[in-house]
Amino acid sequence: MILVYDKTFEGFLTLVYDVYYEKLQPKKILTKFPNTLLLEDILEIKTDEEKSLKVLEAMKKKFPKKCFELILNIFMCDTKEFELNLLRYIILGFRDSNELFNINQKEVFFLQNLEKELFRHVHKMTGFARFEELKDGTLYAKIETKFNIVYFLGKHFFKRLNNQNYIIHDINRKLAFIKNSDFLGVQSIASFEEPKLSQNEQKFKKLWTTFFEAVAIQTRENKKCQQNFVPLLYRIYMTEFL
Amino acid sequence: MRKDIYEKMQILADSAKYDVSCSSSGSDNNHKTGELGATHNSGICHTFTADGRCVSLLKVLLTNFCIYDCAYCINKKSNNIKRAAFSPRELADITINFYKRNYIEGLFLSSGIIQSEDNTMNMILRTLKILRHEYRFNGYIHVKLIPGSDEKLIEQVVALANRVSSNIELPSDNSLKLLAPNKTKQKVLQPLKHAREKSLEKDTKPIGMSTQLIVGATPESDKDILKLSSVLYDKALLKRVYYSAYIPVNDDKNLPAIINKPPLLREHRLYQADWLLRFYDFSYDEIVSDEFPNLDEEVDPKTSWALLNLQYFPMEINKASKDELLRIPGIGVRGVFKILKARRFKSLDFDDLKKLKISLKRAKYFITCKGKYHSKTPFYKEDIKQAIIAPPKKKIIQPSLFDINYSHITGEL
Repeated sequence: MILVYDKTFEGFLTLVYDVYYEKLQPKKILTKFPNTLLLEDILEIKTDEEKSLKVLEAMKKKFPKKCFELILNIFMCDTKEFELNLLRYIILGFRDSNELFNINQKEVFFLQNLEKELFRHVHKMTGFARFEELKDGTLYAKIETKFNIVYFLGKHFFKRLNNQNYIIHDINRKLAFIKNSDFLGVQSIASFEEPKLSQNEQKFKKLWTTFFEAVAIQTRENKKCQQNFVPLLYRIYMTEFL
Repeated sequence: MRKDIYEKMQILADSAKYDVSCSSSGSDNNHKTGELGATHNSGICHTFTADGRCVSLLKVLLTNFCIYDCAYCINKKSNNIKRAAFSPRELADITINFYKRNYIEGLFLSSGIIQSEDNTMNMILRTLKILRHEYRFNGYIHVKLIPGSDEKLIEQVVALANRVSSNIELPSDNSLKLLAPNKTKQKVLQPLKHAREKSLEKDTKPIGMSTQLIVGATPESDKDILKLSSVLYDKALLKRVYYSAYIPVNDDKNLPAIINKPPLLREHRLYQADWLLRFYDFSYDEIVSDEFPNLDEEVDPKTSWALLNLQYFPMEINKASKDELLRIPGIGVRGVFKILKARRFKSLDFDDLKKLKISLKRAKYFITCKGKYHSKTPFYKEDIKQAIIAPPKKKIIQPSLFDINYSHITGEL
């Protein structure tokens, strides 16, 4: 059996409810109807607020805090197929919440590793994100990332740039973390105009590139090693690689 | 002629690049509402240079003018190179602007000795004051203390910095005398000792300190070097020792004759050994001895130790204690934690370890799972070492070849 849901968190919780109470045996969970004709049964899950709230409350009550947070974090790994593992994980937890720590269970191991991958990615981006100063002094960063991490980055920079206004803009997901005097949090960005940069911006970009080139030791050059640490994927908006 | 800011940056970053330390880890989170900057306990790499080193700090010299004449140093007085100096304000402004753009975690500030030790230390102090007091900057600052400067100045710098260091440069006094006539080990360690005392007066936790040693410019063995590091760690004087493969930048009669390549592998092995001292509870004389004063370049120090101590192996994965597990070659701290976690639920076999994605490339020669030994290599030092250095290739029997040989024997065609 193949289940189809709408990719929302509520939709997924509804799916958990239906699987649990109707004893469904999904082999695959998709977010869109497949185009090709398949022999499997396909069932579309209709997002139901009541069902999803019930599952949410039950998880909050029954699951250790760490495991509940893991479930929320996994949902940020939106480019990975995690649904089947997450479903099994939640059902496992309802049967016996101790099992949620048993890394011999393959879904537990898979999800713990995926969560680690998420945080590794967040950590890398805390170093590789680059801000540009706009005319009004706001710091503006564009990012394109594997997972949905603007919230985590926003939180990270809230500590560092506490006396600054800043925007972290996820180009592909059309989301932004915004911090200014009126707003703090994630917002969706329908369309945007390329903002105007401050007068000093060019100077500091050039200074940074100068520094970056000067600190490399030519006799120890190792581009392969460099690329292992900063894969091309991350370099799109990094000043020193432009 | 006045140099523009880009040229200064070029010169002063270039002259600071041989300093290895760049880590910004180990500081507790310290952000304050309404201020700029915070440190991060694990440290954050912001980019990597073309030689593959992490950049997390703006690492520059305040000036590369110097009254000293150390043989190995690019900035020595007698070298005819371009000289420049930042003003404290210039440098503070660049730091703040780099920080806001998320280029860096903070500042690593070192300097040549301009006019006098005290004068230099004073200029560094001014830079720190602008950053901390005027800009309210709470990010990471690492300062290279100037040996021989006034203790009162050192005290003030220590109060404003997250970490301070002073480079020992060479592992023995004799070598210092030969290559750095203005320095002695005593003179280099003095500011570190003082910094620790002063920071302990205010806090129970001493300020983090580090040092750097040049490897391969003088004849000391790995044993001499690791012994020195180990003493410094034990006395809690230092948090970290950096090792830097000697790269010839000057011609000098006291320096080793031209070497084609810096001893990078030796440097790498020293770091591995250093790791064993700090995180795996090894003592230096387990890793190097009078008989083998230098680290084996063919295998890592942990494997090398295991091969010399085969009586502790093979270890049973399901019974070994945490400390014992940490001594298995190829299994690191993370791997040990995975094993301990998984062991609580079931007794592990070889496939379980594979499923947990624990690297068994080296470990398989040193473990048993439920009493079973999985490697086919005979349990002798030389056999295991050979297998690790050059794992046996899988034999592929090529039928045609086989047939020919066969026909050779039987006489059939």
